[in-house]
Amino acid sequence: MTGPTDAPPRDDVAAAWSASLLPDLDAPLTRLVLAVADDELVTGHRAQHWTGVAPSLESDLAFSTIAQDEVNHADVWYSLLVDREADDARQRIDALGLGRTPSQYRHAQLCELPPGDFVWSLVRHWAYDHADAVRLGALAGSSDADVAGVAQKLLREERYHLLHADQWFDRLTAHAARGRDEYAEALRDVLPRALWLFEPIEGEEELLDTGLLPVSSEQLRDEWLDGVVAAVAAVGLDRALPTELRPSYDEPGGRRGLHTPDFTDDVWPEMTALHRDHPGASW
Amino acid sequence: MTTTTIDDAVLARVRAAAGSVPDPELPVVTLAQLGMVHDVLVEGDRVVVELLPTFSGCPATDMMGRDVQDAVAAAVAEVDDVGVRWLFQPVWSTDRISAAGRARLRSFGIAPPTGGGPVSTIERPAGAVRLPVAPGTGPGDPDAAPDAPVTCPYCDADDVVEDSPFGPTPCRAAWFCRGCEQPFERFKPL
Repeated sequence: MTGPTDAPPRDDVAAAWSASLLPDLDAPLTRLVLAVADDELVTGHRAQHWTGVAPSLESDLAFSTIAQDEVNHADVWYSLLVDREADDARQRIDALGLGRTPSQYRHAQLCELPPGDFVWSLVRHWAYDHADAVRLGALAGSSDADVAGVAQKLLREERYHLLHADQWFDRLTAHAARGRDEYAEALRDVLPRALWLFEPIEGEEELLDTGLLPVSSEQLRDEWLDGVVAAVAAVGLDRALPTELRPSYDEPGGRRGLHTPDFTDDVWPEMTALHRDHPGASW
Repeated sequence: MTTTTIDDAVLARVRAAAGSVPDPELPVVTLAQLGMVHDVLVEGDRVVVELLPTFSGCPATDMMGRDVQDAVAAAVAEVDDVGVRWLFQPVWSTDRISAAGRARLRSFGIAPPTGGGPVSTIERPAGAVRLPVAPGTGPGDPDAAPDAPVTCPYCDADDVVEDSPFGPTPCRAAWFCRGCEQPFERFKPL
């Protein structure tokens, strides 16, 4: 079956339609929200990998719930960028989540990496959710009342994620025979990448000046790092800590729109497929 | 209709109609019992119902908003235009669920959330380092007073064990009763 030969490609139609619904992506609030929301969205998409294939029913339920939570947390964050009472609010929120080009996403590259094995996923989960908790703790004091309210609310929900991540941290690091070496190996791989969750947000100075972001990414990183170093040292896995704990962030990373093929050729095409195929569809 | 006909008595009926809407996923409880109806306002020629969202991952949220609009339209003839506004402040928590709501949840086989205390009963090993989480954000605060005990919603036994803090929906955890040997669910404290 073929359509009219002069019709523009479907993807171009969808992209133009989505672009028409997007807010100014350079506005201060947008820059802040996209960094947080895109982390959550992509983390949720990678977490859902374990639905149906996790090693136990409990871990299947956990990752499935976490995936659902994180995608919806992204949705809540995006909703701060639209008129929530407008008739097209849903379309505008969806355009933010699913209607941008890959280089317009601002999540850290850590979030887009494939799930690896179950232990690697647990280590990313532990590193990421503790970073998110530190960030939410700061945003709970944002000068923007909605940002502060959402952060306070999500902190409550994220406790369940931290609980799950910590239980697996305890369980696997305690067993010399099974899991401990694998956990240490995954920490060595994940932690240097997790430091890039704290790559400064574009135009961060302005966000700090206005109090939208009350604490700098660098301070948040140090707060997170103190906890991570203490937790890892307490179980005798210091050797898994990265040698460089304070990267310069001179090279651009995910916060400046630079992504790996794991996002551009894998997460993004799958995550946005329905949105691109059926612009404006609702369910 | 003009706004002059929308007096406090009408607004009270709007509030009652909005509050009577059942939770689409847990139809034994209403939005009022869940503590989700924050306020009802007149804005120009419309009435706005302010609602507090519960769990962010709840897929029923959009449906609740539509159900509130339908319920108000059906019950209050004086109101032509009703809008729903979801608020992020004040922050909803399970402390807002009324005594009646808790009793209804229990009758449905779901142990209600109890105020304060830990999110999960599963304890961490001695010496585990607790990474910082902003304090004072509600249930789950590790330093909060102990929770009231969870009991089986079927047989009231207190010999119950938590299987998993994650369950069939974002708001429910999986538990097991050793008294009647039945699995049951608990509404998660938030």
